[in-house]
Amino acid sequence: MEGHREQDPGFEELPHTADVALRVWGRDLKELFVNAARGLAWLMANPEAVRPEKEVPLDLSAPDAETLLVTWLGELIYLNERDGTVFTEFDLEEVTPTHLRGTVRGGRTDEIRHFIKAATFSGLVIRPTERGLETTVTFDV
Amino acid sequence: MVEKKDFRRVDKFIWELPKETRPDMRVPARIFASAEMLDSAFRDRTVEQLINTATLPGVLKYAMAMPDFHEGYGFPIGGVAAMDVRTGVISPGGVGYDINCGVRLLASHLEKEEVAPYLRDLTNALYRACPSGVGEPGRIRISPRELDELVVEGARWALKRGQAREEDLAHTEEEGTLPGADPSKVSARARERGGDQIGSLGAGNHFLEIDVVEEIYDPQVAKVFGLRENQIVVQIHCGSRGFGHQICDDYVKSLQTAVQKYGISIPDRELVCAPIDSPEGRAYYGAMACAVNYAFVNRQVLAMGVREAFRDVLQGKVRNWDLYQVYDVAHNIAKFEEHEIDGKRVKVCVHRKGATRAFGPGRPEVPKAYRDVGQPVLVPGSMGTESYVLVGTEKAMELSFGSTCHGAGRVMSRAQALKKIWGPDLKRELEEQGLVIRAGSTKGLAEEAPAAYKNVSQVVEVVHGAGLARKVARLRPLAVIKG
Repeated sequence: MEGHREQDPGFEELPHTADVALRVWGRDLKELFVNAARGLAWLMANPEAVRPEKEVPLDLSAPDAETLLVTWLGELIYLNERDGTVFTEFDLEEVTPTHLRGTVRGGRTDEIRHFIKAATFSGLVIRPTERGLETTVTFDV
Repeated sequence: MVEKKDFRRVDKFIWELPKETRPDMRVPARIFASAEMLDSAFRDRTVEQLINTATLPGVLKYAMAMPDFHEGYGFPIGGVAAMDVRTGVISPGGVGYDINCGVRLLASHLEKEEVAPYLRDLTNALYRACPSGVGEPGRIRISPRELDELVVEGARWALKRGQAREEDLAHTEEEGTLPGADPSKVSARARERGGDQIGSLGAGNHFLEIDVVEEIYDPQVAKVFGLRENQIVVQIHCGSRGFGHQICDDYVKSLQTAVQKYGISIPDRELVCAPIDSPEGRAYYGAMACAVNYAFVNRQVLAMGVREAFRDVLQGKVRNWDLYQVYDVAHNIAKFEEHEIDGKRVKVCVHRKGATRAFGPGRPEVPKAYRDVGQPVLVPGSMGTESYVLVGTEKAMELSFGSTCHGAGRVMSRAQALKKIWGPDLKRELEEQGLVIRAGSTKGLAEEAPAAYKNVSQVVEVVHGAGLARKVARLRPLAVIKG
């Protein structure tokens, strides 16, 4: 994966017949959420080509961790559709299973990969692993 | 793990999984396919998703997959399930994010040879008249108050605004207005996303195509539909844009708590649902109907753009540049319909996700002009390949709640397609075959390459063979416009 060869990317693309799916992992919930957002940025565009000029504070709540993950990714998808911003930097102060607070930074780029309609709940379960947490997110494209 | 041997062959093209296959199934599951096609159902999660669909409360007869099936989210694509309105549920995962994605077919008075000298100019004019791609604003601007009217009135709103003709409405599923739309159930965010996208194609597999009628299979029905060999026609394939995506997103999230409230157990969280007759179920239906009407208006406004482009390029050069509407069908929708089950008329909520209504002769929902023969069914192929016009049948009413396939159906992921196919090469290949292409990105072209899809002719042979619809005409593309 371009741009992430040096380090653990935190996500990988899985085959899906019609849409796109990412397996995402992290040591804790915060890292899982950041890696999912980085994966989304990689699906949307070439993150290397983005200059993070725009900053948006976010404060999101949901009844459980999976719904919060879909809400978090949905927020980034909405902001992307609204003004073309691809978010590549994520400074999360607080992530609990029901609440997320932090700041995201991103910018526009012409190096677009996919137009993402939505993050889905399809088969979505956040599972504990030896390394921390893992999940698979399917995006509608 | 379910295998092919677990299926019982009911008929040449009908395969059934008994409801004992998994303890939570309420009804059997059926796949309409040839023997070879059925094999592809085991290459992804189609079968598992179909079984999941068969577990939903109130599901009647069978959970079904049309032959263009593939893995989706929630329901499989090609999925059809009818729920009892008294005991059943409505599920946004059974409709999808692109609510009322569908196809419109316009027919010209022109022969292929009359248009051939102007094909490139016409394609360029269509590309300008019908905005496509990500983030492109649509053809018309509307105020928030007008959006509320538009989503309730559907195509009637377009008529009022001079963006439709009476006969366009008569030749649109539901006459372009699904009743029960409730704008108070639509979020501010959905309104914001949809506000400036009316009259735009979008990206992905959506397209606009100039085709020629290559072959007529049923001359009598073709005549009723206004189709003849060598005729120039236009197909528009798109949906409810960001407006519909956001409505689905909102309700998949908000109904997560409804399943707990009503004690409904679901095997996949994308299958969230609510009883049809509950505040949550009615709210989703009211919002979904808004997106259905939005999409009817979207295709209607684009149709006027197509007419404008034909006029601008062909006026004074051909005898009659005008286009009339053959039909407009939805292929992602949930609707209330009456069907006969065990000899009784029953009101059901039919979910069609990547499936088309295919009502046979005599049904009052079929436009008067077509009622003696059945409704037109529009089945677009993948880019550069043939498309079909079919006619709905009596047998579809018995077998599939009056439903049939919606297209070719993917077999290859977008990532695989990008690895195997180089966009510029594909564009050159298609152009060498004589196709005119205007596309926003060559990468987008590669993802939609014909090799990434099933052969639409094989899909159509199955529905024709099974009796879910009958072949009327085959269309061959001459020009394609993509986002």
